[in-house]
Amino acid sequence: METELKRVGGGFSVSRVWTMAAATVTQLVRMRILVFLVVLSAIVVAAGFMFPVFSAEQQLKMLKYVSFGALQFFSLVLAIVATALLLPKDIEDRTLYTILSKPVPRVEYLLGKFFGVMLLIGGGLILMDVLLCAVLHLRQSLVLAQELAFLKQGHATAEELAVEAARIEAQGVGWSLQIGVLAVFLKAGVVTALALMISCFASSTLFTVITTFCVCIIGQGQELIREFFFHRTFDAAGEKIASGLFAVLVPDLRLFDVIDQVVAGDEVAGGAALFMTGAGLLYMAGYLVVAHLLFVEKEL
Amino acid sequence: MRSRRVQALVVLLLFGVVKLPIEQVVSAKMKEARMLQGSLDLGLWENLGQMGFAASLGGLRALVAGVTYMQAYVAFEDIEWAKVDSLFQLTSRLQPHDVSYWDEGAWHMAYNAASNYLHSDRVEPIMRGKLYHAHIERGIRILEDGLRYNPDNVRLLSRLGDIYSKRKLDPVKAGETYEKVSTFEGLERYGRFAAYEYLKTTDRALWKRSYDLLMASYKRDGKKFPSVIDGIKELEKRLAIPFMQWIPEKGSGKGPVAPVQPMDLPATR
Repeated sequence: METELKRVGGGFSVSRVWTMAAATVTQLVRMRILVFLVVLSAIVVAAGFMFPVFSAEQQLKMLKYVSFGALQFFSLVLAIVATALLLPKDIEDRTLYTILSKPVPRVEYLLGKFFGVMLLIGGGLILMDVLLCAVLHLRQSLVLAQELAFLKQGHATAEELAVEAARIEAQGVGWSLQIGVLAVFLKAGVVTALALMISCFASSTLFTVITTFCVCIIGQGQELIREFFFHRTFDAAGEKIASGLFAVLVPDLRLFDVIDQVVAGDEVAGGAALFMTGAGLLYMAGYLVVAHLLFVEKEL
Repeated sequence: MRSRRVQALVVLLLFGVVKLPIEQVVSAKMKEARMLQGSLDLGLWENLGQMGFAASLGGLRALVAGVTYMQAYVAFEDIEWAKVDSLFQLTSRLQPHDVSYWDEGAWHMAYNAASNYLHSDRVEPIMRGKLYHAHIERGIRILEDGLRYNPDNVRLLSRLGDIYSKRKLDPVKAGETYEKVSTFEGLERYGRFAAYEYLKTTDRALWKRSYDLLMASYKRDGKKFPSVIDGIKELEKRLAIPFMQWIPEKGSGKGPVAPVQPMDLPATR
């Protein structure tokens, strides 16, 4: 019996990770986190009908700006706060001891928590994406009809009508919009892995939240730091060490900032999207490995 | 316990060292595909304020640009042109590859602000003309800045041509700009616009260029555009084109006309 338990406990089980992930989703839903999603979804819908005085093209852009802002806000806040809450909450409720006293390896517990948060963020993003696409499509049809009717009244030529129609259609629902949502999801994944890693050695939830938030801000300016490290001649050794450490320790979150191009209505290249996805997966894997090393012998 | 922490730190540092060149490559690839913008200009700190700058660094650059655009719109409604200009400058610096901001900022200056000053009772009559021209120049400068970030962008180039043509009344530059636009696929019609501009000049070499462009349009589109035929007829006289090379008059036939052969002319005329 003891041998069997060891075998079951020692082997990796995808179904146990899935069970942990599902339990994490339930745990987070019970924390009434989804109220936050409802509020942000309402902002997306409202954004569709705000700014009626702007030009047709700008109305659609503003809708996308506000919606993507809401998507980013939702995913990043959830990635940081929900992840920071998970471990301390499980310790406080003593759930962690119940789980780890069973033949569940710590790596599965950690992965279950990570995938649970990702499931919740992914689900929320899909819901908001569907809503955004529906509102954008509706708004685009309306402004296109209005704009063309206005131009026809002004006796615009066929060429002018075609140019304006193309300009408005470029702002509508397309694949580049979905790549934008994927970028938001990947960024949230990296931040979740980072928050999980920090929470494995943090002494409090607040410490995890503040540290992850600071790392996110630095991560957005990481390119500047990396350029500084690689291309600048240093006067002081301290400067070099500091910039080198930042560049090594902090992820470059700007790699996921494709939203600017998406909102501008530009096509997003598939190859570059693959590079972005690869970078995101690499960060997640790296930070999860470190999180595991910290968590595996953490005194609970 | 301690050994695991040391292991974790070593792995974190190794991972960090490995990721650096990968980040450089991915960043370069994405910039090449125009998926990523350049780094935020640190000089924007003063204009954006601490919150705006932090939000821009926090990946909400597009949203901050949206907010500054709205502020610019409010300034436009309040007819505060200096504020409109500075807010559009800020918006377009935040999103330099979104050409609509350069386009709209230039349009506000060269059309709305310039005309407003020209007809404003609040401005001394002696200053009206000066402000009118200064704002047209400002519109041109905005487009030139935009073209530095987005070289050969047809939307900005055509807007620049419009301002040279309709506001600055500089047919030479308008013609040159339209001609540049006409080199892009599907925008051959701008060659016609360039020709109309060259027709307004007093330079014989530009009339010849205008004639060539209008003839190209005539051969492509036939009698579809009466203004093309008017232009060619005018240039036939100005350039003293031999009679045998003249094209038929406007009302001499229906539908597109094939390229003119000198031998056909007497019969059709």
